[in-house]
Amino acid sequence: MMSLALRGAIRLYQLTLAYFFVGACRYEPSCSTYAAQAVTEHGALKGSLLAAHRFCRCNPWGAGGYDPVPSARQPLSCR
Amino acid sequence: MDQKNFIVAIVLSVLIIVGWQAVFPPSKAPPPVTQTAAPNAPASAAGQPHTPPGAAGAPGTPGAPGTPQAPAAAGAPVVMSLDQALAQAPRVGFRTPELVGSISLKGGRIDDVRLVKHRQEVDPKSPPVEVLAPVGVEHAYYAEFGWSASDAGLKMPGPDSVWTTDQKTLEPGKPLRMTWDNGQGLVFALDIAIDDQFMFDVKQSVANKADKQVTLYPWALVVRYGEHKAEGSTVLHEGPYGVFNGSLKELSYGDFKDNKQQKFETTGGWIGFTDKYWMATLIPDQKSKVDVTVKGTGAGANIKYQIDYVGSPITVEPGATGGTEGHLFAGAKIVRMIDGYRDKLGIDRFDLTIDWGYFSFFTKPLFWLLEWLYVQLGNFGLAILVLTVMVKAVFFPLANKSYAAMSKMKALQPEMEKMKQRYGEDRQRLNQEMMQLYRREKVNPAAGCLPIVVQIPVFFALYKVLYTSIEMRHQPFFGWIKDLSAPDPLTILTGFGMIHWQVPEILHFFNIGIWPLIMGVTMFLQQRLNPAPTDPVQARVFQFLPIMFTFMMAQFQAGLVIYWAWSNTLSICQQYFIMRRHGMPIGKKAKVTVLPPPANSGGESGGGGGKKSGKGSSKKG
Repeated sequence: MMSLALRGAIRLYQLTLAYFFVGACRYEPSCSTYAAQAVTEHGALKGSLLAAHRFCRCNPWGAGGYDPVPSARQPLSCR
Repeated sequence: MDQKNFIVAIVLSVLIIVGWQAVFPPSKAPPPVTQTAAPNAPASAAGQPHTPPGAAGAPGTPGAPGTPQAPAAAGAPVVMSLDQALAQAPRVGFRTPELVGSISLKGGRIDDVRLVKHRQEVDPKSPPVEVLAPVGVEHAYYAEFGWSASDAGLKMPGPDSVWTTDQKTLEPGKPLRMTWDNGQGLVFALDIAIDDQFMFDVKQSVANKADKQVTLYPWALVVRYGEHKAEGSTVLHEGPYGVFNGSLKELSYGDFKDNKQQKFETTGGWIGFTDKYWMATLIPDQKSKVDVTVKGTGAGANIKYQIDYVGSPITVEPGATGGTEGHLFAGAKIVRMIDGYRDKLGIDRFDLTIDWGYFSFFTKPLFWLLEWLYVQLGNFGLAILVLTVMVKAVFFPLANKSYAAMSKMKALQPEMEKMKQRYGEDRQRLNQEMMQLYRREKVNPAAGCLPIVVQIPVFFALYKVLYTSIEMRHQPFFGWIKDLSAPDPLTILTGFGMIHWQVPEILHFFNIGIWPLIMGVTMFLQQRLNPAPTDPVQARVFQFLPIMFTFMMAQFQAGLVIYWAWSNTLSICQQYFIMRRHGMPIGKKAKVTVLPPPANSGGESGGGGGKKSGKGSSKKG
């Protein structure tokens, strides 16, 4: 339920405000896509944490580039 | 599924737009102040002046100062024209660079203050804005300085007392002295001085020619008749307010209906009523403690609001003279002047008379920057354009980096799509391939969302400044924009100014001006430069967003729309050049699939590079 609500909110953002951030992302997939995937695969709590971590990495000193959501089967490692 | 998503998206977007409009109501031009008599106003006893301020308070309670009294509700007053109302009492006129008006000798009232430089409408020939108005006109609004005594036997000057003076006019540097003799040995005097801005300096004094000492309480009040609909209560405060012991309290007219009142105590500060652009504010002696009362009396059309202060008692020995000094600000809330008074007169937090909102730490500096640019350039519209260039300049390198990355991404997009299709289910493999692609192509990450995020406060601050500050009111831009703080007047439904008719409220949403249309076009062009989102639903919704924003922004101040259109234009130019430099075909989908190794193409991102596509600039947007 919680994860559904989160995904709804992310979708809402993606279809409206994300407009202004087209092309600005340092990462592929973008933070919102990443968050939606993370919540889908890891559940609301862990997914949110993953998304938050990703969001913090999006700064001028972050690495950038291709950065997919870690698979659910893989153990999480802190980058 | 896509179709369903799409509908959901549209519904959500509409919800957002509706929500947006609820949070930022479109600014409306202030309703013109009615000057002539309303023909159907309920008529009865003529504007009954109020009972003497001191009379109601004191008897039986020695020591308790009689608080100044608002006039008792005495039936709906006859509404007359300003000229008629002014003719009701002898007056001393004044005319300064900013103000024109008069002081009524009856009651010693400051009740006629009009602003020379501020007109009710954009048209410079429209009537001046009335800040204070005498009893008799539709919304009387005046200030009084007086005395009350704990000894009920003493006669105090009241609203019917006619003061005497031998002066015909009041001028800056030539104060007006009015006196009133109570016939019991007390001679009251009011010395009113004005400057060439909006401040009245009022010295109230009593000469005791009787044979016993008297103790009197000086007071001052501002009274305002009638209901006042706040124009933009969600964006800024309008109503009674004040700074009490260093902290600002913003009250609303509604709190004082049904004869309610509130009392405060303060040393230093100010009290008064404010509208969006104008205010009447009393400033007591900043060093002594005063008791403040805010109250409403009467109901319906007869409602009156009063804010007053009663100062510490002053004891005057026989043969001596005692008094106090207060100030009245009646005029436009011009930032420079208000800050000037705060410093010159030492008025505690006088700058808070202007509601800059929670983000004043950002809004006010932005205002100062705009104002400075205005002084240099002579036009607020130009100032906004230059401000935009400055903001863009700060983020120029970062944006360049983003556009360079964007070009590259746009070129790589087809290949990434192909990989996603090829390895569809095999996430492990896809990840590996993508990593390799990124490494091979040396994609430099974009600047991230930070440079865009920091522009949001600029947008909101500009909105607030355009909405709040009198400085932006009736300020023209080139061409047909005569007021940057109002929506573009040349709208579709008026045939871009060809047809003159009152567009009904219900159609306002569709009434789009020229500048909002220009802004919509710039948004559309910018979108053509950007890579299309890979998500098909997102891509389709985004195609509609420029249209939605055109509708939405049409309700906003022209200055804000011009800012946005200009900001987009600058971005488009920058993006266009960067993409050209990176050899991106402009305006159509990249056909490049495999890229050669980087050929250093400059740019501070260092890597860059990309196929120099011969198809260069097929068309611009």
